[in-house]
Amino acid sequence: MNKRGTTLLMLPALLLLAAVFLYPLLRYAWLSLHASSVLTGLVPVPNGGANWGRLLDDARFWTDAVQTLRFALVSVALELVGGLALALLLHRPLRGRGPLRALTLLPWALPTTVMALGWRWILNDPHGPLNAAIRSLGGSSYGFLSTPATTWFFVVLADVWKTMPFVALLLLAGLQTIPLDLEEALRLEGASRLQILRRLTLPLLVPYLSLALLFRLAQALGVFDLIQVLTGGGPAGSTESLALYAYLNAMRFLDFGYASTVMLATFLLLLVLLGGGWLLLRRAGLERTSGRPA
Amino acid sequence: MAARPLLSSLRRQPAVLGLLAVLLLVLLSATGLRAVQAVAAEPVPIRVLMPAPLADAVAGPVARFNASNSGVAVEVIRGPLDTETISDLAISSLLLGEAPFDLLLVDVSWLPKYVAAGWFVPLERWFGPELLAAMEPGARLGNGLGEHLWRMPLTGDTGLLYWRTDLMPRPPRDTEELVAISRDLQRRGRVRWGYLWQGRQYEGLSCVMVEMLQAFGARWWNGSTARTELDSPEAVAAASWLDALLRDGVSPRAVANYAENDALQSFAAGEAAFLRNWPYAWREIEKGGGPVAGKVGVTPMVGAPGEQGGGTLGTWGLSLIKGSPHPEEAVAVIRWLTGPVVQRQLAIEQGYAPTWSQLYDDPDLQRRAPLLAVQRQALQHPQLRPPTPAYAQLSDLLARQVNGMLTGQAGPDQTMATAQRQSQQVLRSLAGSPTPAAPG
Repeated sequence: MNKRGTTLLMLPALLLLAAVFLYPLLRYAWLSLHASSVLTGLVPVPNGGANWGRLLDDARFWTDAVQTLRFALVSVALELVGGLALALLLHRPLRGRGPLRALTLLPWALPTTVMALGWRWILNDPHGPLNAAIRSLGGSSYGFLSTPATTWFFVVLADVWKTMPFVALLLLAGLQTIPLDLEEALRLEGASRLQILRRLTLPLLVPYLSLALLFRLAQALGVFDLIQVLTGGGPAGSTESLALYAYLNAMRFLDFGYASTVMLATFLLLLVLLGGGWLLLRRAGLERTSGRPA
Repeated sequence: MAARPLLSSLRRQPAVLGLLAVLLLVLLSATGLRAVQAVAAEPVPIRVLMPAPLADAVAGPVARFNASNSGVAVEVIRGPLDTETISDLAISSLLLGEAPFDLLLVDVSWLPKYVAAGWFVPLERWFGPELLAAMEPGARLGNGLGEHLWRMPLTGDTGLLYWRTDLMPRPPRDTEELVAISRDLQRRGRVRWGYLWQGRQYEGLSCVMVEMLQAFGARWWNGSTARTELDSPEAVAAASWLDALLRDGVSPRAVANYAENDALQSFAAGEAAFLRNWPYAWREIEKGGGPVAGKVGVTPMVGAPGEQGGGTLGTWGLSLIKGSPHPEEAVAVIRWLTGPVVQRQLAIEQGYAPTWSQLYDDPDLQRRAPLLAVQRQALQHPQLRPPTPAYAQLSDLLARQVNGMLTGQAGPDQTMATAQRQSQQVLRSLAGSPTPAAPG
């Protein structure tokens, strides 16, 4: 088929993508140059870029950006390491491997809202089971969700707990593509387990690892439901994410101009970050393949 | 494709087919029955969304109203307890167009925003000026905007100062006395802390700021210029006073994380000489039977020496949602729920301040609701939070800055200067012009 025919056949899909992605983006860009709030009767009025000036001086936006980044980087890193360990474990021939694999996936299958509510109850001060356990050991109840440090820890823990199985599943699929004879050959040559992992398994898993990394980073940088339900962004805004801030601007403050600005700025930040990460990974991958004798 | 095998398999299963037919018949007859019932004067349903504590408080009166055969069935929807959460809930329904309620119990601080969004129906057609004239002056505030009446007030609450009758012969007259009495009692070991209030980063801290700004002769919002005035010397003095309370140990550092209930619990446990809270706290303390029950007095919020103090107006009232299919019946519910009978019961059982002057003159009620006289006094000089649709943002950023000051991140000067600069930025970006026009 000629090139024009290909383009023609792709047109419906491209149009759909444009309608779903491009149009909202352009709309946000346009709205971010306008005031559209209760003071304008929710009608867009040009405000000469005041939204962007406000964004630059908005400490809350930048604090949230740092918090969102920190949350995403730490939780995704933990998920990759934990997911890899879990995948390696589930890849080994074990008795009851099938049910075990299904069981591991359970947290991933839970709706985030339900899971976040569960954690909130577990951590409740003083009625939650965790505090009950502490008291039965002779300690006194602790407000896990009213201290920024412990709250942050448990938000990360809840996210890791829920999404590690997803990473494990992706990596398990990757592990199954590695031919067994390669591993056998290495072992015959006297390679240790660690050497096999470093020289064979990890390099061949790189495409799967980067896929998991991209998926999870994109999700974690847009984290909303977990934080909304578990902490509501508190205490004192210490767990608020950019998505939550954009939501508050639109839904609580009815400030659609600024909400669009926050969302667009978040999108640009994400683009730079993920684009940069992808480039880095690709360069690392190229160096690895070119640096090794064929 | 999938339908054909299903149908053919059904044809081979007469039992299933028969069951389906019976089910269909039952469904049809049920809807038919309901249609007949509707013709036979089914009461008009009026749904009211309220925060849970107020929904519980009016449960008795609502049951009586529904039993009175007025042709209206009131259904109270219990919303979340937290003021901001219930507003979020209401807004997400209202943004979608068809709200699942006819009436909304509205906090005084939401009204300008909801009116600007066009979600309410003006009420002056049903409630004339003579009705409002029968209310205490403070209770009349915050219900009208522009030329219209948007809300009928159900409660007349203001922020109050609680003091310990066992520790001092009379309440302080001004902020200086409050600090002096506190320090004296602390020095003599009579009490651990002087003054407890709400310093957490939330809207409650904005209510405290409204009172402190008034106490020092400053103002947050200038209605005629539609600008904030947070960097005035008086406003900085107000912030400095709060800052000094923590630095001098009159208030605990933990105040920076206190909401209403945290402060109330600590005061009820006898840890402090003074407390800033809403009227309901008095019942809580008395009912709780703790170490200070029976030893608590209440007074209007004090000002700095030579200034008129005033408590933040925290009234709730009912508004009619645009698009309600039964406005006349809904108005009848407003009239009854905000009427003296219900308010009287709320005052006796929950300590909510009434809005009707006649209730304050009622000797029987005066006896059964001991706070009444102070509540009336407080309603003579209540302080409104900035009556602008942008209040939620302005409050959010002021509370953030002041909480930062309380946790030692910046001094009062810098705190108020930043709050002022950011407020003006928010207003510019909201309104699309350097000096936004006043609402209404």
